[in-house]
Amino acid sequence: MKYYKDHYDVIVIGGALAGLSSALMLADKGLDVLVLERHNLPGGVATSFVRGGIEIEATLHEMMSIGEKGNRLKVGKFFDDMGVDIDWMKVPECYHASLPGLEVTLHPGLRKFAGEIDAVVPGTFSKVLSLLELCDRVYNSVNELSIHHMSKPMMLLKHNDFVRTAGYTTKEILDTFDLPQKALDLLAPYWIYVGSGFSDLPFTIYAVLMADYVGYGSYIPRKFSHEISLKLAERAEEMGVQIEYRQHVEKILVKDGKVYGVRTARGDEIHSDYVISAAYPNKVYTSMIEPLSEVPEKAIKMVNGRRLGLSAFSVIMILDRTAEELGIKDYSIFRGKTMDTDACYEELKGLGPYNYATCICHNLANPDATPAGTCSFSITTLPRADGWKAVGPDRIDEVKHKVAKALIDDMSEYLGVDLLDHILEIVIETPMTISHYTGMWNGCIYGYAHTMEDHIIARLQTEEEDKFIEGLEFAGAHQISGDGMGPAVTNGRKAAKLVLDDIAKKRKGASAK
Amino acid sequence: MNYYGFLQDVGGASRVTKMRREAIENASVFPVKYDAIAETAKAWHPGKLRLVVKEIKQASPTAKTVRFVRKDGGELPYFYAGQFISLEFEIDGKTISRPYSISSAPFEARGEGSFAEITVRRSKGDGFIADYINDKLKAGDEVTGNMGLGQFYWEPLRDSKHVVALAGGTGITPFASMAKEIAAGKLDYDLTIIFGSVSAGDIILKDELDRIRCDKVKIVHVLSGDDPSWQGERGFITADIIKKYSAEDSTYFICGPQAMYRFMREELKKLDIPARRVRFEVFGQARDITAYDGYPAEKAGETFSLTVKRGIAEDVIPTRACESLVTAFERAGIKIDTACRSGECGFCRTKVLSGEYFVCPENDGRRAADKDFNYVHACSCYPLSDMTVRIPIE
Repeated sequence: MKYYKDHYDVIVIGGALAGLSSALMLADKGLDVLVLERHNLPGGVATSFVRGGIEIEATLHEMMSIGEKGNRLKVGKFFDDMGVDIDWMKVPECYHASLPGLEVTLHPGLRKFAGEIDAVVPGTFSKVLSLLELCDRVYNSVNELSIHHMSKPMMLLKHNDFVRTAGYTTKEILDTFDLPQKALDLLAPYWIYVGSGFSDLPFTIYAVLMADYVGYGSYIPRKFSHEISLKLAERAEEMGVQIEYRQHVEKILVKDGKVYGVRTARGDEIHSDYVISAAYPNKVYTSMIEPLSEVPEKAIKMVNGRRLGLSAFSVIMILDRTAEELGIKDYSIFRGKTMDTDACYEELKGLGPYNYATCICHNLANPDATPAGTCSFSITTLPRADGWKAVGPDRIDEVKHKVAKALIDDMSEYLGVDLLDHILEIVIETPMTISHYTGMWNGCIYGYAHTMEDHIIARLQTEEEDKFIEGLEFAGAHQISGDGMGPAVTNGRKAAKLVLDDIAKKRKGASAK
Repeated sequence: MNYYGFLQDVGGASRVTKMRREAIENASVFPVKYDAIAETAKAWHPGKLRLVVKEIKQASPTAKTVRFVRKDGGELPYFYAGQFISLEFEIDGKTISRPYSISSAPFEARGEGSFAEITVRRSKGDGFIADYINDKLKAGDEVTGNMGLGQFYWEPLRDSKHVVALAGGTGITPFASMAKEIAAGKLDYDLTIIFGSVSAGDIILKDELDRIRCDKVKIVHVLSGDDPSWQGERGFITADIIKKYSAEDSTYFICGPQAMYRFMREELKKLDIPARRVRFEVFGQARDITAYDGYPAEKAGETFSLTVKRGIAEDVIPTRACESLVTAFERAGIKIDTACRSGECGFCRTKVLSGEYFVCPENDGRRAADKDFNYVHACSCYPLSDMTVRIPIE
């Protein structure tokens, strides 16, 4: 039986947010696209599952770059433009910071946020506001520069703050504001969403993160992140994309430096001149390209010369009491025993105890997220794969329970109620869980770490140098914009644009002849 | 604010670009293929494995225990006591799958001689595969298996250290696994199994259960049949019997036939046990879908045509209103991945492109967004008209 066409314009490996965004954009331009997804549903980690009749969010904490209807930001606008209609719900606060000696809930809006910090650390309003405004200017520049190329003098003229902060770490820039430690602590919690300590995190990344979340707030989909994934997939199919689930691509076929197709675990060989891979470059260049002799040494150096970002460890619980009954007041609680982000980052190399965690109570942004009388509560930390690599199959169960218990005990102490007495359902997700469901390299969800040695600006400047095989593009957290669901969409669009540009170039070349 | 004073450097972009180039230039040329995290994940969840029947023995006058080993001689996956295996049998050129609780213990799947067992009772004529296993399957036969699956296992952070297992018939199997694992010192909780059988002469896995010598494991037999010589508990497993063997704050695990589940729900209600202390194994495929509220009785005897799309291919097969889509696929020789066959696991997630259908209300484990877009779990979906569906290519 013949399941595939003889040839596709583009084959996308991986039907999660990045791959589906690629597919949508390519289909929108009339291309014939095939998406091959190894799991039996779209979304990768942007998904949900059902336990004991209750649907449970697998990952999403909140999504940025959405914006209000009528005034959409980058990602929200792309969804609107593509006809993907997500039922977004606004998260009421930025976060509740539970730090040594500090219990503060901060809300979106630059002035509001600065005002709330000033209320606990008096006299900081103008400094914090000017920092946030600097972040906002850098953010606007990044958005503009990601679309329009610009000459150096123009850059300096129009994007002065972006240019002048580009070479500095977050710590270096924050230090120039001369803020009291408490205020700095309150400005730090989101660090985990990009996952590098401040002394190695490019300020550009921090600025984009803060401007987007604090300036515009964040959103969650009403029907869990599966709603996003499914609506992207449904719309793509409506636009003519062929999506095949349970198809695990094992090989990317290359000849004379050019892609010509893929082979699946089932044995299907499918042809195309373009392949967009959500599989990590590490996996692609070390075991997927066939023959491996087509992989240049430079590609191996490229993956070896970069540091993998974070993975995830989550304890997701459905509790048999409401949030109110348990004294949970905020959708998102960032709890840190210290706000020394460099120390936190170091700790994530190991197996715990982890002293920095983010907790989400879904019901406080979406009251109907779980049945009446219950609530969902998750505790997430984002370890690097390093520590977990040493945990073999015989120890993983013991280790994951030990780590989970420490996190639950800490939050129980914080809330003054023993959460262990209220668990209806519990799921512990480890780096292995991510690896199992998505195949992501080392269970890593953050791509390559945002560091000064792998700066987003440098990634943009050296884009061409990271390309080794004609017709092969990548889409996923491992690409320029890095981790997160918003950036996943941006990365997917970028890959599609590279393919479209190449097709246009070839057509132009052909017609010139 | 004087950050401009500090930041006179307008060459930052060039500087970081140089740093990146240098980091890559100085990196190793050795390709690192090994993914330790993926290897650990695979040791627990390798997916489908080719298995060989090593041995079949009698588990009671009406039931058999089948021992499987890996065809390639390797170790079977890690799993939790209480989980099930989904087995695919190739019979007359068709692939038919069934889930069975693993009756052997996790430790028995480790090391050399690694094996897993299921225990299956001959049916009263309505269990095609149960009878195939009891009457036809023999040592040396090959099957495909995916293990360990399901959520029916003791979770230390959620469940009590005192477990009361309520078993009916072959529902003893997950508890046999737990009991052996506890007796081997691999799990640490007290397990009291209240085991309902019909007659003393036909208690499934009785010899094996009798051999367990462990303070933490206690087995209480309850017989529903007339057996004048029986000294133990009689009748059904009622609230009174459950209460008698419960500790304060026990967790209850229930596994058995569907009639027992319905009975147990009511009995447990009488004891006012918090919801988090009660764990039912999946329900199993509906015995009679037409008996459910909301099922349009007038459709019961009808047959329809089912168009099945896989990739760009299309097949048209017959279906019956009273049979699930999975049954229709299997009869027509169309492969579909399944596991729990109770609407829970979602392995058989199927897109309905057109047509009317009925989803078994006791087996509806779908995601909210899936419902909105007409996705069903084919094992709990029954056609009410001609239908067109899309399923993955197997």
